[in-house]
Amino acid sequence: MTINGTDLQIAFCGSAGDGTIAVGDILKQAMAMAGYRVIAFDQYPAEIRGFGKCVSRTRVTGEQVYSMKQQTDILVSLDDSHAIPHASEVRDFGAVIYDNAPMSLMAEGEHISGHLQPGQIPYALPIREISERATGSNRGRNMVALGFVAGLYGLQQDVFHTIIARKFKTKPAAVTTDNTAAFDAGFDLGAGEFLFDEISIGEPPAKAKHEARMLSGNSAVVEGCLDAGIEAYFGYPITPATTIMERLVSEMPKRGKRALQTEDEISAIAATIGAGYAGVRSATATSGPGLALMAEMLGLSVMAEVPAVIFVSQRGGPSTGMPTKTEQSDLNLAVFGGSGDAQRIVLAPTNVEGCWRCAGKAFEMAERYQTPVIVLLDLYLSNRYETVVVSPDEQFEPNMSKPMVKGKADEKYQRFATTDDGISPRAIPGQLGGIHTVTGLEHNDMGRPSDQPNIHMDMSEKRHNKLAKAIDHPGITITKRFGDEGDVDVGILAWGSTFGESLEAMMLAREEGIKCAAMKVVMMSPLPEQPITDFMDSASEVLIPELNYEGQFAGIVSGTLGRPVNRLNMVPGTPMRVDDILAEIRKLAGRDKRDAA
Amino acid sequence: MSSAPHLVIIGNGVAGNRAAEILREKDKDCRISIISAGPLLFYNRYELPDVFKGRQDWRDYLENPPEYFSDNNITLRRKSIVADVDTERRKLVLAHREEVSFDQLLVATGGSGYLPERLQETAHLTHQFTTYRSAMGMYRDLPKGGRVVMLGGDMIGLDLARTLIETGYHVTVVPGDRTFWPHEISAEERPKYLSALETMGMEVINHGEVERIEDTTGSAAARRVVFVSGETVAADVVVTQYGLAPMVDFMSTAGVDIERGLLVNPQLKTTRDEIYAAGDVCQIWEQESNGYRFYYGWRNVRKMGEISARNMMGEEVPFETEVDEHLIIKDDGSIDSPFWEYSA
Amino acid sequence: MSAELKEPVYLEEKLKDIQDSGRLDFRSGSLPTWCPGCGYYSMTEGVTNSLNELGLKNENVVCVSGIGCASRFPFFVDVYGFHTLHGRTLPVATGIKTANDDLTVVVVGGDGDGFAIGGGHIPHAAKRNVDITYLLFDNGIYGLTKGQTSPTSSQGFKTSTTPYENREQPLKPLMMVLSYGASWVGQAYAGHQHHLADMIKQAIAHRGFSYLHILSPCVTFDKTNMTYQNMSMAVRPLPEDHDTSSQMAAMREATKTDAPGLGVLFREDRPTLGDNLDAIARSAGADIKPGTAQAAE
Repeated sequence: MTINGTDLQIAFCGSAGDGTIAVGDILKQAMAMAGYRVIAFDQYPAEIRGFGKCVSRTRVTGEQVYSMKQQTDILVSLDDSHAIPHASEVRDFGAVIYDNAPMSLMAEGEHISGHLQPGQIPYALPIREISERATGSNRGRNMVALGFVAGLYGLQQDVFHTIIARKFKTKPAAVTTDNTAAFDAGFDLGAGEFLFDEISIGEPPAKAKHEARMLSGNSAVVEGCLDAGIEAYFGYPITPATTIMERLVSEMPKRGKRALQTEDEISAIAATIGAGYAGVRSATATSGPGLALMAEMLGLSVMAEVPAVIFVSQRGGPSTGMPTKTEQSDLNLAVFGGSGDAQRIVLAPTNVEGCWRCAGKAFEMAERYQTPVIVLLDLYLSNRYETVVVSPDEQFEPNMSKPMVKGKADEKYQRFATTDDGISPRAIPGQLGGIHTVTGLEHNDMGRPSDQPNIHMDMSEKRHNKLAKAIDHPGITITKRFGDEGDVDVGILAWGSTFGESLEAMMLAREEGIKCAAMKVVMMSPLPEQPITDFMDSASEVLIPELNYEGQFAGIVSGTLGRPVNRLNMVPGTPMRVDDILAEIRKLAGRDKRDAA
Repeated sequence: MSSAPHLVIIGNGVAGNRAAEILREKDKDCRISIISAGPLLFYNRYELPDVFKGRQDWRDYLENPPEYFSDNNITLRRKSIVADVDTERRKLVLAHREEVSFDQLLVATGGSGYLPERLQETAHLTHQFTTYRSAMGMYRDLPKGGRVVMLGGDMIGLDLARTLIETGYHVTVVPGDRTFWPHEISAEERPKYLSALETMGMEVINHGEVERIEDTTGSAAARRVVFVSGETVAADVVVTQYGLAPMVDFMSTAGVDIERGLLVNPQLKTTRDEIYAAGDVCQIWEQESNGYRFYYGWRNVRKMGEISARNMMGEEVPFETEVDEHLIIKDDGSIDSPFWEYSA
Repeated sequence: MSAELKEPVYLEEKLKDIQDSGRLDFRSGSLPTWCPGCGYYSMTEGVTNSLNELGLKNENVVCVSGIGCASRFPFFVDVYGFHTLHGRTLPVATGIKTANDDLTVVVVGGDGDGFAIGGGHIPHAAKRNVDITYLLFDNGIYGLTKGQTSPTSSQGFKTSTTPYENREQPLKPLMMVLSYGASWVGQAYAGHQHHLADMIKQAIAHRGFSYLHILSPCVTFDKTNMTYQNMSMAVRPLPEDHDTSSQMAAMREATKTDAPGLGVLFREDRPTLGDNLDAIARSAGADIKPGTAQAAE
């Protein structure tokens, strides 16, 4: 699929300390500044020290896409021992760039040149030596390699200079000078190199109407929080959600807002609920194990009808599981976790822009429907970068709370009153005439504890009915269909980051002549039953691909709607492969690969 | 590492690839590696003049698609230069400092464009026409309908010259010792063949020895060839075609006999049992002349690839040429050579 | 105290005085449900009196409870209330206070809620110096669930979950809280109602994390250990020369669990969580004036 002339995926692979992630960062920033759309996913070693593998993958396109490509166009090796296993991900007539003058003698098979596929194009250069010549040190190897890529494909040198200067602006000036010199040395060599591959990069698309921001899923969450006017944040570090807290504790004080690291996840959500009760927009962020600890508090938030926003970035589970690997296995916990009938709103964005929007909308919804709202990401979405372009006209409502209106002097304020729109007016501490107590006990209109059968039944109904309105909440698309209209052979229902790969697979299937559509589902709870039912009605076979073992979303869909679905489940710890989804589509459409070709 | 024997072929041309094909045919399990200095898969260099006919994608010149190598389990190590051969340890040392072990070795590196010493200083001002890359380099530097001055004029160059004329360029041949290489032309016959070139549309000038090449970029033509005689010729592109020189330097410490090329017996074995050679790089013992000689041309080279592979597999087949090596003049007055023959 | 309560006439005569004082304004319409003789009555009195005497407005006060006999405390006081989960009072209160420094936040809870399930939160509320008041009712037993052993149950105590006797040593909450860095630590006894009320007032008035340990016999489930009879014999006022600025002196008094000293053990002024968060905001460049956080005086 070539989008607007440009669709290029570049992977840098090296060892911790090689500057792999740094150089990938410069690349994506530069491409974004040049006007391209970017999506990027870095892979770090699980270990803090040592020589673990780092991979930085960047996909550069003319229009925003939803996923990384299955195959990489350009692989740059900064450490052959780590890059060799990735050589096979480079496509035919794609490029592999490596050092042909390493320091020490290698045993057979240790150099990447022996591992290239016949269709791949090798570009060999003495990366270390060039760095040493240009800067007197081998630490510029990454920049030499980046410069070579930029020179080889005719990328804009001045844009890279700008980004390099920006990246090192807090360091001594020599750092910028050396990095620029190393970059330029590589650039000149690349520019003089003969191109054998079939990689080309088109002109950047016409300047977007609005500024493109380069954000990771987690930083988009942060931007969404800030744009929605978050006032209090409480969190406890946990991979892969920690960066949300790290950025908020840096950004919120600049705006006079408060962020606090608590002693555990229970305190984090307890304080979030406390602050929500006190009337401010508050949030916490965690991963699956933290959410498990928070489950009891979620129930309190539901019962006491106190707004709370919880960002959850899923990782491999159960238990400590695989902290640095991606997975989608906390859906059940997010949707159902806790005691009792504790329905809550769960939003699962499918891309980085969605992270921004869901973050802001989560505050609106939590406030409007007086409920906890979970925004469910996963490691892949949290850590991947995309260019995000949002119109400045798109803003979040600063206050969606239904205010208490002071009645007559003798009229007692009823915190949990039944009203026409199902939402009770909410007073917050400090407000005259609104004094009330909220409780985790079942309670009557006044908030007084009660275990009368009719009260528990009425209140349960009230708590569930009000959430149904969230399906029509303005300014957010909670389901969307892509691909063929009308009846299709295969309909893919996908959620979270896996939607990106599903969309890519759907488009490839259509190119093979399979009638195919994909629907993204962003609101996981309450389930938007009507659009999902309509979608399923239009498809002969429904496929639900998810990165979990049990098929959690498939379970919810088939259970709630009483429909058979086809599951595609895997837990490799990495994003689902487009090919795996495509193979499943072919199977469901009654074709194997040969028929299709 | 598997225990199957590792058969390593140095060189990614006709001989090397034919040998790989035969080796795989004879032994499904052996490890086969081809080591190539270039970045590309095996392609047909005989068709390279087609770049002037608008055929510029290198993939159009491939003899085999990429999957051929994977399907036949042939490892191709490109951009790899053999720096040294350690025969005792049966290891190659590659220039990027990786060691590769071998059980048997076939040297099929062919030749590189020979350049007389006096022209080496100005090599950057001249073109060669030996690889796809050099062909494209020349194509890019040559303006449409422009003038090529060809120094030497070996059979590779003359083949190119045919195409250049056909596609509307001007070709001036500056003949020398190695004109018509690899054919050896006697002094008496020489004028006949040179005039045949003129019949074919080339200009043949004889100003004697070339002294230097000058960069005249910016003026009407980018190059000027200055002769010892003081005469000059302007050119858009100067291409040197002095024949090929065997690429054997890396074999100097391998313990095999070398004259100009690697010396091999009729079974194409060098003076070491585990090392064979095939193609333009080797000189084969000829009983009749009681000496070693080169055999050139696609058919010979391909045959050598086949014979060397069979002998590496334990046969004892001698190489015998089937090629009549004479340069001929056709009825229309143009020349033809078995050296230009190939079949795709 | 008990003698006074036995005279209903006394209340009637004093009713007008009580109404005029304004402290009934802090009572809600709901009547407490504790066992007759429970120390929570004293605490409710103490809290409503203190809030009144400190001149606070009802709507600016939030009372936070967890699970235990103190659960429903907020319902009996006419202020904003949050009846939270077992053991989670302090983090919820931290959230409320972080959201709005102008609120006066009073946390009530028992020994089980505080030192068993909620034990992990106390050090952090203390070290952060969250400007809240923690009134801990220690009765050495789980009363709400009808008599199970608690972290402060006496050794040898037979309860429904230690039928062969509790062999574990009780926690020493005062020593813990002092070492956690609470900036105000005091001890009171439910049997000394006026002293208790005064201590509650001081605890609420303190700017920072104030911890008041209230010894409160469970008249229903403990007939042998922490009874009014036993406690009245054991408690004593802190020595007049007790140095409330000395953590060492406070710690020494805190070790004397056989003869609990009543009064303020330790007190220090240091920046509260709110002060620190404001200071962070100022270093980050935000325009926040120092000392705007409200202090109850």
